[in-house]
Amino acid sequence: MAYCSCGGLGFGGWLYLRIWITFIGTCSTSVLPAASLRSPDLSTGLGTKQHPQRQQQRFSSLDDKPQFPGASAEFIDKLEFIQPNVISGIPIYRVMDRQGQIINPSEDPNLPQEKVLKFYKSMTLLNTMDRILYESQRQGRISFYMTNYGEEGTHVGSAAALDNTDLVFGQYREAGVLMYRDYPLELFMAQCYGNVSDLGKGRQMPVHYGCKERHFVTISSPLATQIPQAVGAAYAAKRANANRVVICYFGEGAASEGDAHAGFNFAATLECPIIFFCRNNGYAISTPTSEQYRGDGIAARGPGYGIMSIRVDGNDVFAVYNATKEARRRAVAENQPFLIEAMTYRIGHHSTSDDSSAYRSVDEVNYWDKQDHPISRLRHYLQSRGWWDDEQEKDWRKQSRKKVMEAFEQAERKPKPNFSLLFSDVYQEMPAQLRKQQESLARHLQTYGEHYPLDHFEK
Amino acid sequence: MAVAAAIACRLLRLRAAGAGGHWRRLRGAGLPRGFLQPASAGEDAAQWRRVAHFTFQPDPEPLEYGQTQKMNLFQAVTSALDNSLAKDPTAVIFGEDVAFGGVFRCTVGLRDKYGKDRVFNTPLCEQGIVGFGIGIAVTGATAIAEIQFADYIFPAFDQIVNEAAKYRYRSGDLFNCGSLTIRAPWGCVGHGAVYHSQSPEAFFAHCPGIKVVVPRSPFQAKGLLLSCIEDKNPCIFFEPKILYRAAVEQVPVEPYNIPLSQAEVIQEGSDVTLVAWGTQVHVIREVASMAQEKLGVSCEVIDLRTIIPWDVDTVCKSAGLETENLKMLTLSSWERQSVIKTGRLLVSHEAPLTGGFASEISSTVQEECFLNLEAPISRVCGYDTPFPHVFEPFYIPDKWKCYDALRKMINY
Repeated sequence: MAYCSCGGLGFGGWLYLRIWITFIGTCSTSVLPAASLRSPDLSTGLGTKQHPQRQQQRFSSLDDKPQFPGASAEFIDKLEFIQPNVISGIPIYRVMDRQGQIINPSEDPNLPQEKVLKFYKSMTLLNTMDRILYESQRQGRISFYMTNYGEEGTHVGSAAALDNTDLVFGQYREAGVLMYRDYPLELFMAQCYGNVSDLGKGRQMPVHYGCKERHFVTISSPLATQIPQAVGAAYAAKRANANRVVICYFGEGAASEGDAHAGFNFAATLECPIIFFCRNNGYAISTPTSEQYRGDGIAARGPGYGIMSIRVDGNDVFAVYNATKEARRRAVAENQPFLIEAMTYRIGHHSTSDDSSAYRSVDEVNYWDKQDHPISRLRHYLQSRGWWDDEQEKDWRKQSRKKVMEAFEQAERKPKPNFSLLFSDVYQEMPAQLRKQQESLARHLQTYGEHYPLDHFEK
Repeated sequence: MAVAAAIACRLLRLRAAGAGGHWRRLRGAGLPRGFLQPASAGEDAAQWRRVAHFTFQPDPEPLEYGQTQKMNLFQAVTSALDNSLAKDPTAVIFGEDVAFGGVFRCTVGLRDKYGKDRVFNTPLCEQGIVGFGIGIAVTGATAIAEIQFADYIFPAFDQIVNEAAKYRYRSGDLFNCGSLTIRAPWGCVGHGAVYHSQSPEAFFAHCPGIKVVVPRSPFQAKGLLLSCIEDKNPCIFFEPKILYRAAVEQVPVEPYNIPLSQAEVIQEGSDVTLVAWGTQVHVIREVASMAQEKLGVSCEVIDLRTIIPWDVDTVCKSAGLETENLKMLTLSSWERQSVIKTGRLLVSHEAPLTGGFASEISSTVQEECFLNLEAPISRVCGYDTPFPHVFEPFYIPDKWKCYDALRKMINY
């Protein structure tokens, strides 16, 4: 380097220039295209002369491809923004029309009569239970309830497509999955009443069901928290070579939560056998989808994460069944996540604490109840096959109502669990401090017991 | 020659400016030359930044667990993780950057040894890391999640508090995530500032259903971490990052357990009880020596180890003036010892004073031992500010502050 002998710059000046030169040298190396870096004899830095012809070959813009680690894509020299397509979004897969007629016979799953009857009976029994328990809240018998009106098809169609041992993580509007897995009415009621038979030991609000035997993880109120958890469970199932899939249900509102984003991304990067099942029912309490998202629903997000995605008619139980069945097969075989967005409509209020006439018209609700209901569509299918008729309908309604009422009356008569169950299961073992608190409550009740509803609790 | 003289004069002037004026020196010299100050000028600056506020005191070599090896704290953590993955085929370790060994080298070598399905990176998302870990644990497999710094644990707060902690309770013991352990580097490190120095244990202390553990040394870290991993409840294990390399001692190679929810009296004394956890244990140990030397005061030093559920009995151990009081205690409350013995309690932690865990200890001890206290309980903690950068030496509850508080307690 010729410059270092410039005496006039002095010691500091020389060092200053030296650093500047090194900086440029570094820069020079980094601006060279990859092709030229592969040539071992290329020297870099200022002042070096390259053969003009060799230089031109290396810098040819026709040859080079992007080398960025972050994306596998071609260059483009035209400035163009991608327009999100929300006018004609991802199409909605369906098997039956609104009158329950098969549209494309090759898509008919051709399920045996027994199975389809089980679909129908699960959905209608759920519907009957919903009516009675909703009423019971209105009468002050239980504190709270959430109905599943209009979404029965999403529950039953998907549950039927799974193995009984596939783990289910739900949000709170998936009782039909448990119903399909033959969770007894007694236990539904027990949880709603929080009585001694409640597997959850009376700790949670109604509809927070759980069942270890039926592989249904206990519901929790915070939305979307189950999504990354379901992914972790799927990862563990993959490691265990269990040939199990995990299914994770959530609504289109919950899909806005950070946990949903986290779950999708983890599932894809960690290659988990999981089905993300989104019930897009049009409302998150009072918030319509137009205020929940601007993109093409939830299905359109899947590809953004690298996830196989589909949108289905959630009120068509066979469409739901077919999509879930295929997703299950491939998720387990290929260890990758699948996203199913089931379009449906929430016919009922969000919960007993909600009156939806405050934010939507009765006409809108009636349309779905009368014109596009999963139960009536399936009934039409059954009737057209000769597997069901009005007589059976009448009998079944009476029978199912009777079953529900019996379970309901029994549940109401049972006491709540002993108050000491307030304290257990915080940890696997009870810590000393908590035991002291339990003892202090027991002592308190000995003196002040009359002011507490002890009569309703098991002794 | 003239140039050399000019430079020499400049250097002499610079040295004369003294250590405090080094900022002025750099400005006067012009930036490029400021970069090129002779090494000695920078060293003064580096020295006062480098001196630690504590001296790590290794414990004597443990003899009851077999062969030991010299390990620092991060190596002790690696050893615990190695033992866990060897013993438990379901165990997996995951988090940001754990695959190559981790930003603090706690997971070095584990991916090569146990495979990429067992030691793997996750996307950059703490709520995802913890949620994912809960899901693994729900199936019964062992999940060891790493959060890169305790300062970044907050996105996962909902998953920890609303989900992990409540899983068993809310399901009536149908489901639980007891096999989840979350590890995170914790506490001041000299230059960590706002987002690399936090001690968030108090946020989690308010959450029944989880356990929170902080070790003071490599030997303690390995035993406590193994206990957390094997514990049937979700645990958060905070690792004092300043001790990762600074703390070195003999640590058993084989696995061993140190019980949770048991504080350790690491030095017995009769006049004042000092309680701390993590790095601060070494600060109060030194304070105990200072107190003995300068004031003739005998201190009992307790390492709390588990923040929740915490060992109330050991700390309450001395709230009686006379040791005769101990004879009057019934068998069930025999445990209430330390404060009953000394009558004076000082609790110290880096985390801010208000709502810090010292408040919980203080409140409980005054409830249990009121009549046996000789002085108000003293809390020597960080100030109620975010953790500062250049002001760290003023912020932390160093030995002088602890000593001063102790002196006031003695003279109360």
